[in-house]
Amino acid sequence: MTQLRVVIGLLGLDQHEIGARIVAALLRDAGVEVIYAGKFNTPEGLVNVSLQEGADIIGISAHSWEYLDGIPILLALLRQAELVTPVVVGGSVITPTDRQTLLCWGVADVFGPETESSTIVARIRALRAA
Amino acid sequence: MTASPKVYYERQDVLRADEPPPGVYPYTRGIRARARGGWIQRGLSGEGDPRHSNAQLKALIANGQTGIDVIGDSPTMALLDPDHPLAAHAVGAQGVSLCCIDDYRELLEGLPLGALSVSSSVPAPFFLAGLVLVARERGIDLAELRGSVLQAPFYAEDCGYEMQMPFGLRLRLACDSIAYSATHLPKYHCFLEDTYFFSEVGLTPVEEMALGFVEIRHVVRELLARGLEIDRFAPRIALLVNCSMSLLREVAKIRASRRLFAQMMRDEFDAKDPRSLAVVIASHTSGRSLTAQQPVNNVVRGALQAMALVMAGVQAIEISAFDEAYRIPSAEAHLVGLRTQQILELETDVAETLDPLGGSFLIEHMTDELEREIRELVASIERRGDPGALCDAGFFSRMFADAMIRSDRDLSSGRKKQVGVNVHRVAPEDDRLLREVVESRGHAWRDRIERTTQRKRDRPAGVLDSALHALDAAASDRTCNLMPPIIDAMARGVTVGEIANALRAAYGACFAGSPRPPR
Repeated sequence: MTQLRVVIGLLGLDQHEIGARIVAALLRDAGVEVIYAGKFNTPEGLVNVSLQEGADIIGISAHSWEYLDGIPILLALLRQAELVTPVVVGGSVITPTDRQTLLCWGVADVFGPETESSTIVARIRALRAA
Repeated sequence: MTASPKVYYERQDVLRADEPPPGVYPYTRGIRARARGGWIQRGLSGEGDPRHSNAQLKALIANGQTGIDVIGDSPTMALLDPDHPLAAHAVGAQGVSLCCIDDYRELLEGLPLGALSVSSSVPAPFFLAGLVLVARERGIDLAELRGSVLQAPFYAEDCGYEMQMPFGLRLRLACDSIAYSATHLPKYHCFLEDTYFFSEVGLTPVEEMALGFVEIRHVVRELLARGLEIDRFAPRIALLVNCSMSLLREVAKIRASRRLFAQMMRDEFDAKDPRSLAVVIASHTSGRSLTAQQPVNNVVRGALQAMALVMAGVQAIEISAFDEAYRIPSAEAHLVGLRTQQILELETDVAETLDPLGGSFLIEHMTDELEREIRELVASIERRGDPGALCDAGFFSRMFADAMIRSDRDLSSGRKKQVGVNVHRVAPEDDRLLREVVESRGHAWRDRIERTTQRKRDRPAGVLDSALHALDAAASDRTCNLMPPIIDAMARGVTVGEIANALRAAYGACFAGSPRPPR
């Protein structure tokens, strides 16, 4: 099996980057190839990066509320492009209600402040297997 | 690396002779000799449009808050207008949207500017310009303005306040605004060295203060090279430090920082004015120490940290609100933070005596130890070469990245304990107390977008071009102070985003995803 490739980025002007950097490091340590898209992404930009990089998974770090506006756009763009790349979202601002909303929209998995590091790696790996 | 503390400390652990009393050089025990009439009590404020934020500030003042601290929404902090494509979902959501002089008029409407301490983390030259213009319109003497704006030319781009301006421009804006303020706003702390925000990535107290001193020293040298006298601006340097749950170490850190600052100013920069040596210190309790889990526990954390800060003798305190993990403070969380400070001041005895922990074997030992370690780290960073070049080369950026990973591993390995996170957890369905408050939401204030484009359309023809031309000319002349053309442009209705873009362009930069500014 080829190495798992995950794009990680933040949407809009969310500048709280610590979570994204930590998860990127966590995944790299676990042998995952991380394409770090960093801050200031539009949904269009992230879809382009994941296309160009042949990403298996798109990971969004969310520490401002902008993700609630950006994620539906991102998901719609993926559908338009007929891509089935799973999208995962993580961040401390995600409440249990948000989690349900995100899953309903079609987000593949959601990681909140309570999720253990090892769980994040395992669940991201499981997504490709699925 | 700071050694683990001993089981207890004794007289022989204190190596130096008795520390001079508060108000006496090197001010380890405090900058004032007399008991204080409290400290400035404030909370981080700003949400939505300027009118909404104005009402929020007035409500806090009515509840006894004695200063204000305004944070911009993410477009404002990045110096982008509400109509920037990246700003659409962020306008007013997590701070106040401030993009032009009208906004500052509305934000500050009815506030007693001459009497109230007005602080902000909005990028200094722009907040200062707004404040100066509003004060002038209201006939308030600029020399009466008090408060602070932070200067972070070294670390802003790496730690959450990215404006996409090159280092040279960031440093120039810092120096220009400090020089301008030294002449026109002699009581205003225009050089607040904010070590809080960058230490929140997970730095140790020694790293926090060492990076702070590296930045202060570099900016001071730059100002001296411009021919400014040290005693003209040094009295207006202040520190804004973090306060973690290592309460005793934080008290020692603040004592050590006052001593280091005084020694540095006197011995290295030849300052003579006692006010140049005695540094004002403000502090925020650590947002990072707060948890999304069991948020009511954050009330306890804030109270403990604030108590340590009172005992350390700081001049201003903000308690990071109990809903910090989820949002900028709700009205409920604001009030709890403010009431915590009021209880400390009025009901406890911790504020009755200056430096109540002074003379403790542990505190004195730790103060000396931290002073030595901070001094050594500053020297070791400066030995690597010009700090400005180190910044450009990503040296500090790597230090922050290492700290993020290190502190996360400390938590995930259980080496560092956090109640509700890696110990004493409860199931999410049982974690209900204060849930409704912490999970309540602000929203994007999208009408601001239309209002901004409308304002730009309604401006008289030629205003933008002539103001941008003046800015560009000033930016190209490196001996010119940028504050007057920034203030002038804002007075004429040019927006912060337009001004910042012109400055970026003059330095060959552009905010990612921005249309090129008109030239």
